[in-house]
Amino acid sequence: MKKIFQHPPEKLTGRKYWRSLGELADTEEFRGWLEREFPAGAAELKLDGVSRRNFLKLMGASTALAGLSLAACRHPKHLVPFTKSSEWSIPGKPLFYATSMPRRSGNLPLVVTTHDGRPTKIEGNPLHPAGKGATDHFAQASILDLYDPDRSRFFEEKGQQSDAKKFEAYLDGVIAEAGNGAGLAFLLEESHSPTRERLRKEIARRFPNARWAVYEPLGNQAAEAAAAAAFGPGIKGVPVFEKADVILALDYDFLGNELISIAHSRAFADRRRVEKPGDKMNRLYSVENRYTVTGGTADHRLRLPASQIGHFALALAKELGVDTGGIAAPEGSPEFPADWVREAAADLKSAHGRSLVLVGPRQPVAVQQLGIAINAVLGALNETLVGARVTSAPALSIGELAEAIRQKSIRTLVILGGNPVYNAPADLDWAALQKSVPEVIRLGLWVDETSKESTWHVPAAHYLETWSDGIAADGSYTAVQPMILPLYDGWSELDILAKFAGQPKPAGSELVQETFRQRVKAASFSDAWNKFLHDGFVAQRREGINLAFTGALPQWSQEGLAVPAGAGKIEIVFAADSKMDDGRYNNNGWMLELPDPITKTTWDNTAWVSPRTAKELGISQIAHKAEHDLLEITVNGQTVVAAAFIAPGHADNSITLSLGWGRSVVGALGRGTGVNAYKLRTSASPYFAVGAKVVKQGKQIKIAHTQEHFSMEGRDLVREASLEEFNRQPDFVRHMGGDSHVPPGPPSLYTHPKLEAPNQWGMAIDLNTCIGCSACTVACQAENNTPVVGKEQVLMGRSMHWMRNDRYFVTEEAFNPDLSQYPENPEMVSQPMLCQHCENAPCETVCPVNATVHSPDGLNVMAYNRCIGTRYCANNCPFKVRRFNFFDYHQRPITPVKVPVLGEVNGLKLGPLAPKGSPDTLKMQKNPNVTVRMRGVMEKCTFCVQRIQEARIAQKVKAGASDDVTIPPDTFTSACAQVCPTGSIVFGDILNPESRVSKLKAQEKNYRLLEYLNVRTRVSYLARLRNPNPKMPDAKQTIAHGAAEPAHS
Amino acid sequence: MATGSLSPANEANAAYEQQKAAVTRVPLVTNDRNLPWLTQNVSSIVESKTPIWWWISIFFTSLVAAFGLFCIGYQISTGVGVWGENHPVGWAWDITNFVFWIGIGHAGTLISAILFLTRQKWRTSINRAAEAMTIFAVVCAGIFPGIHIGRVWMAWYLAPVPNSNAIWPNFRSPLLWDVFAVSTYFTVSLLFWYVGLVPDLATLRDRAKSKVSKFAYGLFSLGWRGGNRQWRHYEMAYLVLAGISTPLVLSVHSVVSFDFATSVLPGWHATIFPPYFVAGAIFGGFAMVLTILIPARLIYPQLKDMITPQHIDKMCKIILLTGSIVGYAYAMEFFMAWYGANPYEIWVFLRNRVADPFIFGPLFNVPPAPYWWAYWAMISCNVISPQFFWFKRNRHNLWLIFIVVNLVNAGMWFERFVIIVTSLHRDFLPSSWGMFHPTWAEIGLFVGTFGIFLTLFLLFMRFLPMVTIFEVKTVLPEADPHHHPNTHNGEVKH
Repeated sequence: MKKIFQHPPEKLTGRKYWRSLGELADTEEFRGWLEREFPAGAAELKLDGVSRRNFLKLMGASTALAGLSLAACRHPKHLVPFTKSSEWSIPGKPLFYATSMPRRSGNLPLVVTTHDGRPTKIEGNPLHPAGKGATDHFAQASILDLYDPDRSRFFEEKGQQSDAKKFEAYLDGVIAEAGNGAGLAFLLEESHSPTRERLRKEIARRFPNARWAVYEPLGNQAAEAAAAAAFGPGIKGVPVFEKADVILALDYDFLGNELISIAHSRAFADRRRVEKPGDKMNRLYSVENRYTVTGGTADHRLRLPASQIGHFALALAKELGVDTGGIAAPEGSPEFPADWVREAAADLKSAHGRSLVLVGPRQPVAVQQLGIAINAVLGALNETLVGARVTSAPALSIGELAEAIRQKSIRTLVILGGNPVYNAPADLDWAALQKSVPEVIRLGLWVDETSKESTWHVPAAHYLETWSDGIAADGSYTAVQPMILPLYDGWSELDILAKFAGQPKPAGSELVQETFRQRVKAASFSDAWNKFLHDGFVAQRREGINLAFTGALPQWSQEGLAVPAGAGKIEIVFAADSKMDDGRYNNNGWMLELPDPITKTTWDNTAWVSPRTAKELGISQIAHKAEHDLLEITVNGQTVVAAAFIAPGHADNSITLSLGWGRSVVGALGRGTGVNAYKLRTSASPYFAVGAKVVKQGKQIKIAHTQEHFSMEGRDLVREASLEEFNRQPDFVRHMGGDSHVPPGPPSLYTHPKLEAPNQWGMAIDLNTCIGCSACTVACQAENNTPVVGKEQVLMGRSMHWMRNDRYFVTEEAFNPDLSQYPENPEMVSQPMLCQHCENAPCETVCPVNATVHSPDGLNVMAYNRCIGTRYCANNCPFKVRRFNFFDYHQRPITPVKVPVLGEVNGLKLGPLAPKGSPDTLKMQKNPNVTVRMRGVMEKCTFCVQRIQEARIAQKVKAGASDDVTIPPDTFTSACAQVCPTGSIVFGDILNPESRVSKLKAQEKNYRLLEYLNVRTRVSYLARLRNPNPKMPDAKQTIAHGAAEPAHS
Repeated sequence: MATGSLSPANEANAAYEQQKAAVTRVPLVTNDRNLPWLTQNVSSIVESKTPIWWWISIFFTSLVAAFGLFCIGYQISTGVGVWGENHPVGWAWDITNFVFWIGIGHAGTLISAILFLTRQKWRTSINRAAEAMTIFAVVCAGIFPGIHIGRVWMAWYLAPVPNSNAIWPNFRSPLLWDVFAVSTYFTVSLLFWYVGLVPDLATLRDRAKSKVSKFAYGLFSLGWRGGNRQWRHYEMAYLVLAGISTPLVLSVHSVVSFDFATSVLPGWHATIFPPYFVAGAIFGGFAMVLTILIPARLIYPQLKDMITPQHIDKMCKIILLTGSIVGYAYAMEFFMAWYGANPYEIWVFLRNRVADPFIFGPLFNVPPAPYWWAYWAMISCNVISPQFFWFKRNRHNLWLIFIVVNLVNAGMWFERFVIIVTSLHRDFLPSSWGMFHPTWAEIGLFVGTFGIFLTLFLLFMRFLPMVTIFEVKTVLPEADPHHHPNTHNGEVKH
C-alpha cells in the first residue's frame, strides 16, 4: 500500500469553536461524513425516483444505444476531429453510421462500423428490406480502397504536384471561359444520385451546349435499349424472384457480379430453402458459355458459346410460339440439343405467370428483345417481371463523345471517375483522343492511365468520405454520408459539378440536403433529415409501371443475332471479372487475393478454355503444377497473351477472358497482374467477338491457385440429392460415404470435459442456397485483420484466408486433373470451409504449449501470445483450416524490394533487411478488437470471438446481479454469416432450440463432416438439393454424390 | 589361411586345420596383436602430427557447417517462410531431417548399451565411434525441432517452468514428450559416452607430451589412476548407465513415432509405428556406423585389426534383419489400411505413395501419385538393397557394403519424407491438397547439418581415441584368465 504522507495535526491552542454539534461530538459517523465526497449511501440515494446508480446506468445504456442505433448528429460544417472527446463516443466502442455505396445497380444501403473516427468494417443496412444486413464482396472490399496507400494524394497539373487552390483558380477560369458550354463535355460513370441529376440540370441550364456522356464498360445498355423499345423510354424490367418458380437465365450471372442487386440473390435463395420433405423450391435453368456461380447453382445447365445464345433464344421463342416475324433459325448453328429446348420451354410454359426468362446484359439488343417477347408469352410481365423507371436521364455514349472529340468540338473534357484510357472500347483509341482535347480535368481515386493523359488530376474522395445520395435497387432513396474527413483532401464528383453549376464547393451536406428537401416533403425538415441519416434511407415505393408489350418485336431482325461460334470459329467472351469488376478493384489486395469462385485463381486472370478446345489447341494443365500454357489470342486486329485455364463446364470453341486486369498505371499491388482484355474489345463486339485466332505460344507462366485439385474423389464432403430423392428419403445424408458406417454419436474412450457456458456457439451452412460467391471470405478478412500475402506466397500454398470456399466439379465418372484430364460437362458444387470448432479437436491435443484450447462456450480458441508455431495443429487438422504466418505479412512488404546485389526480391524474403511497418492508412482499417498476428504464429477462424465477447459483456452488464447471462438467440452474428447475400451461413447458440442455427441443425439433411473421426464439429452443413426436371435430357435419376458405397441397414 | 597347392604330406594336416577353423571363433582382434600394440596404435591417431587430409576435410566440412548456420540465421531472422512449407504440408524437411538424425543416433547407444548388457564382445571396437556418432547425430537432430518453430525465441514455453500466466505445457502433446525424450536421450548418451572415455583419456594423459594436452586430458580423465577400487566403481557405473540407456534406445524413437501415430492423419495414425520406427532407427544407425567406419579403416590401417571383416559382417546382418523388419512394417501398413477398410488410409497408401506410372499405378488402375518416386526410392533403398547381405560374399565386399549402407542412409531419409510429406500433402479434403517444394534455405540447412556432423566427427577423430582401448584389451587372448602364452586363438597346444 502506498503511504500518504500527512502533516502531524497542529496543536490546538487558544479558544476552540465548533462549527456544529457534530463536530463537538466528534463521532465516527461524523468523521466519515466529513471525509467522504458523497455521504454514505449517496450511490443509492433516491432522487426523484431515479437512483444515482440507475441514472448512470440509464445514461450508459442510452449512449450505447445511440451508438448501436446509428447516430446521426453532425456538426453542420465539418466533421469533428478527436482533439476533444465527443459526447456520443465512448473510447473503444465503435459507432455505426448508415450510408450507401454507389453502384451500377443502384446504391447499396450500408451500415459502417467506425472506431474512433476510422471506418473499419462495412455491413449491409439491416433496416433496409433489400439486403437484410447482407452485402457482397465488392462492398466489403471497398473499405480497403479508402485506405489504399497508393491512392492519389495530390492535385496534379500535367503530372506535376499542385494544390487545391491552384486547381480552383484554374477551374474558375475554365468555367468563366466556357460560354454556352459548346466546348465543354463531361464523361461520368453511371450513377443513381438524384443530386447529380439535379446538378446536371443546373449545368445544362448554365451551359446549354455542354455534352454529358456516361460510360460504363460493364453497363446494361442493351437491356435498357430493348426495354425502352418494348415498353417505352425510361422504363426497364425488374425481375421478381419471389414469384418465379421456373427461371431460365440466358448468359446471365445474376447471382454473381452482374447488374442485379443482392436483394435479388436473397429473394432467389429464399425460394430454394427446403426444410422438410414436401417443401417447394424453384427451378433454375442456365445457358452460359462458362461456369458462373449462377450456372453452378442451376438445376439444369447448358454450356453454349455466348454467340449461340441468341440462337438458343430464338429456338426457345419459336418453341413457345413467339411471333418472330417468320424468321427461320439460322442454318447449321445450333449445337444445343433440341429436346433440351423443348422440355425447358414446356416447363416454362407450364408455370405460366410464375416463370421468368432472364437475358444477360452481355447479349445484344435483339436477344434482349427476344427475351422480352418470351416473357410476354410466358405471362411473366407484371408478374415475375415488373416495370421500373430508369433513374438517370439519357446521356451520350462514349462513342458519341469520341465522335465529338474527333470533330474537334470539345475544348474541355471533365472526366469524373471511370478510367476510359484503360477501358474504353479499343476501336476508339481513347488515349489518343483524350490527348487531342486541350483541357482534360480528371477526378480519380488513383493516378491511373487516364490521369496520365489529363491536364489536371484531382484526387477523388472515396464514397466513405463524401456526401451524396442515391437510389437503391428497390427504389428507396439512400444517403451517402462521410465516415471520415477526406484523407487526402479529395473532391467528390458533386464538388466539381457544383462548381460548374455555379455554386461554391460544398463544405458539407448542403447539396444533398437541397435534393432531400425537394424529394422528401416532410413537416419538419430537420427531423426528416436526421431520420434519413440515421436510417440511411427513405423508403420510397417504386412507381408502379405497367409493362405493356404489343407482342411484335420492334425493329427486330436476325441480323441482331451474332454469328455463332463453332468448329474452327472461336469466340472470345469478355466477362466481367468476379473480383476486379471493370478493373476498379485492381489495386485492392483483398480482391486480388480472393480466389475466383470458379477457377480459384488469384492475382491473375486467365483465358478459360473447355477441355476439348484445349486439346485442339494442344494445351495441358497438370493440376498439382502451377504452370499454365500461354495463348496468343488475336481478335479485332489486336493480340494479347494470356495464360490458359482448362475450365470444366466451359463451352467448346469459346474462350472467356475477364476484363479488369493488366492495368499499366496502377498501384504497387496491381502491377503486373493479369492481362488486359480491353485491348481486344471494340464498340461493335463489347461482350464477345467471334473469329479469334488462338495459338499456343509454347511458353508457360505460373498462376496462383488456392485449390489445385477439384475432384471430390468420391468422398462424402458435399452431399446432395434431388428434391424427389429427398422427399423419398429425407435422411439421405446419413446413408452416404463412410459416415453411414458410423453409429450416431460415436462413443469415446475419453471423458470429455463438459462445456458448461450458458451459450454454445455453432454454425450451420446451407449448401442448397450457398452460391459460392466468396463474400464470406472477404468479410472475414475485413473483420479479422487477415493479411494479404501476394502471388508468390499463394503459389507456395500460403494464402491466409480463414474462410475459404471449396469448389468441386462433380461427374459420374472419375477424372484425374493430375493427368490433365478434365470433365467436359460436370456439375459444380461449392462448400464454405472454415474452422469447424471440433468439440473433440485434434489440434488441441497436439499443441505442446497449450496455445490452442477449448473455451467453455464451445470455441476452439487460439492464444496467439502463447503460440510458438510448431504447426503441429495445422498438420493434425482434418479440414486444413489453420493458417500459419510464414512471414511477417503485416510488417514486411509483399511486393518486390530493390536490393543491391540480388536485384528485386520479394520483401517478405528479405526479412530484417526489408523496410518494416505497415502503411498508416492500412493500420487504420484494422479492427482494433482483433489482434494483428505476427510471424511464426498460427491463426484460424475464431467464430468472430470479439463479437461474442462484446455480446457477452453487454449481456452481463444487462444482467447485473441476476443470473440472466445467457445471450438471447440471434442477437448478433459472425462476419461471414452477416455478409452472406443468400443467408446460407447461420451462426448462433446451439443450446437454445429457438435459435435459427438450432432449427437448421435439427433438419434431417444436416450433416457433419468426417464424423468417423469423432471430432464432433460445431459447424454442420445442410445437404444440397437439386430440383431437376425429370423430362430433361440431362436429368439423372440419382444424382446423390459423395456416396462411396451403400449404407448397411 | 592356407593358400596355394598343398603337398600330399600336408593334406591330412590341412583337413585338420579346416575342421578346426570351422569350429573355432575368429578372433575379434586379428594378427595376434598384444596390449601395447593396441595402446600404441589407437593413441597414435591422436598423438601423431595432424595430417593434411584432416585439415582439408575440416576446412570443407566446417564451411558447409557454417553455411548451415547461415541458413539457420536467415530462417530465424526472416521466418519459416524461407522454407518451402505451406498449408497442407506444415512439416517437411525440418521434421524429416530431425527424425533422420535421431534415427542415426540410435546405433551408438544400442551398440554400447544393449550389446553390452547382452555380452556381445564384438561391440568393443566400434562402440566408441558409434556413440560419438550418436551424440553428433542427436546434436544435428536437436537443431531441427529447435528452429523449425515459428517463434524460436519463445521455445522456452516448452519447458515446464512456473510462470506468471500459470500455463503449463500441454502434457498430452507428443511433441512435448519428444522434448523430454530427446533431451533425456542426449544427456544419458553423452554421460554414457563420457564415462566410457575416462580410462582412455587417462591413458592419453599418461602418454601426452605437451603441456596443454596433459592438462586437458588430465582434466577430463577426472583423476583416473586405474586402481582396483576405481575399476570396481567404474564398471558398476557403466553397467547402471547401460541399464538406463537401454530403455531409452527403445523409448526415444517410439516417442518420436508418437508425433505421427497419435495424430488423426491417415498415413500417420498407425499403431505399428513405435516398433517400426525403432527397427528403422537401428537399421539407419548401423548403416551410418558403417558409412563412417569403412573409410576410417582405410585412413588408419591399424584399425583393420580391431574393426575386422567379422565386425562388418555382423553389422551387415543387423542391417539385413532390421531392414527386413522395416520392409515387413511397410507391408503391414497396407494390410492394416485394407483390413481397416478406411478409404482415406487406403488412399494415402495406394494413391499417395505406391501408385507409380509404370507398374503399380496401371496394375491398380490408379493415376500416378505425385510423390511415387519418393516411395519407390524408399523401398529400393531400404527393402531391396539390404537383401544383398543374405550372401556372405557380399558382406565382405567393402565396396558393395559401402554402396548399400549409403543407399540405406538415403532410404531412411526418404522413409521419413514419405511418411511426413506424402501423408500431409493429400489428406481428407481434396480442396486443400498441395505440393511441397524445398527451397535453397532448407536444402542448405540439411547439407549444413552434415557439415556439423562431419566436423564434430573429425574433431573427435583428432582428439579422442576412436576405439575403446581398454575394452578392446579385454577381448584379447591375454585378457583371458585362462590364457596361456603358448596358445593360439584360445586353443591350447599339447
